[in-house]
Amino acid sequence: MSIVLNHVSVTLQERPVLRGIDLVLGERRIGIVGLNGSGKSTLARLLNGLVLPDEGTVRVEGLDTRAETRAVRRAVGFVFQNPENQIVFPIVGEDVAFGLRNIGFSKRDAQARALAALAEHGLDGLADRPAHTLSGGEKQMLALVSVLVMEPRIVVLDEPTTALDLRNRNRIRDAIAGLAQTAIVVTHDLELVSGFERVLVVDEGRIVADDAPEPALRWYRENRA
Amino acid sequence: MSPSLYVPGDGPLHRLPAGAKLAALAGLGIALFLVSSPIVLGAAALAAAGVVAATGVRLARMRGALAGIAIVVAIVVAANAWLVGWREAAASGARIVALVLLGYALTLTTRMSDLLATLERLLAPLERIGLADAGKVALAVALVLRFVPELMKQADDIREARAARGLRVGPVALVVPMIVRVLRSADAIAEAIDARAYPPAETDSSRHGPGSADHDNA
Repeated sequence: MSIVLNHVSVTLQERPVLRGIDLVLGERRIGIVGLNGSGKSTLARLLNGLVLPDEGTVRVEGLDTRAETRAVRRAVGFVFQNPENQIVFPIVGEDVAFGLRNIGFSKRDAQARALAALAEHGLDGLADRPAHTLSGGEKQMLALVSVLVMEPRIVVLDEPTTALDLRNRNRIRDAIAGLAQTAIVVTHDLELVSGFERVLVVDEGRIVADDAPEPALRWYRENRA
Repeated sequence: MSPSLYVPGDGPLHRLPAGAKLAALAGLGIALFLVSSPIVLGAAALAAAGVVAATGVRLARMRGALAGIAIVVAIVVAANAWLVGWREAAASGARIVALVLLGYALTLTTRMSDLLATLERLLAPLERIGLADAGKVALAVALVLRFVPELMKQADDIREARAARGLRVGPVALVVPMIVRVLRSADAIAEAIDARAYPPAETDSSRHGPGSADHDNA
């Protein structure tokens, strides 16, 4: 797995959000940290083609996010910061099956896989529940399962533990730790990424530190706390 | 109504195909509008109540929804009684009760996915002549239902936020922030739909999963 960003710049609403980013991402666990408004969520969105670069290119396993967006989205699953915004269908099982239907599974297979995925992640028995009645932690797990069930090779998670209580934060941490896929996690939860292989610090649209977690997080604490 | 009405079960109404239930609802709905006798319509309302009872769902679970229906019917009956008289009011009230209860029985016993699949099948002829995209219509219906509880929650949040500051909640104070929030939510949901590879890949009926060329992540 590799993602290559080649001199990427993004401007949103006439404001430069990312400036001249060059990166090769090949590790299995990568954390992205930075202050609010630093550009880290935009960087994450580039990886799934949700945001396209104004300058430069983003390639996921050789696929250009601009030219081959559909294939990129098969390869890269994206878990949003607010699970409320990720749940498309009103019923839990149907929401998990939605992505599978989009990538070509028959209705029966999609339902069977959705049930299996829910059970695998401790959400068995919730398939027929209205999604809006789930707890915050259950919604975040549902958002994660809805992405994982599509078997992406890479999972990008945008602040997955924000607004969760301690128990649910640990649950999401365990789920991330157990992922077979490459995981790229945007977060303010520095403890979450402390065991990762690599941490990027984003500041004012640039990568200002890119290292193993210990030195990268030390730089972040010392310079941006 | 809330999309949370479906209650899992294995009674005869649950086992009936969604298409058959929808067809019966449509047929009975038309029949109810061809009848004007309050006695016949009253009997139809009682029969519809029997159908709801036959779903096997406990009354306690239905209490909230039934209370909502009762309020709507009471308003309609009172307005009709004032405008056109008690006989017509009784007829229209009984008709609405029968229709709503039959629709309620349908949603209690039918999964949303089955209703949407039926809707897609019904729209397929229109899709073939280029008048509708069945998949998009089904998704739109699902999104409408998905947003109902969210809109109610957002309205509650706005009411609470204003009450916490000692402000009254007038229609404008409620509607303007609701519109802003709904537009924001719509953008976010659109992004989430994109992220999950919508629109669906072209598939043939014999396929049970993505083709191997496109599914090499084993």
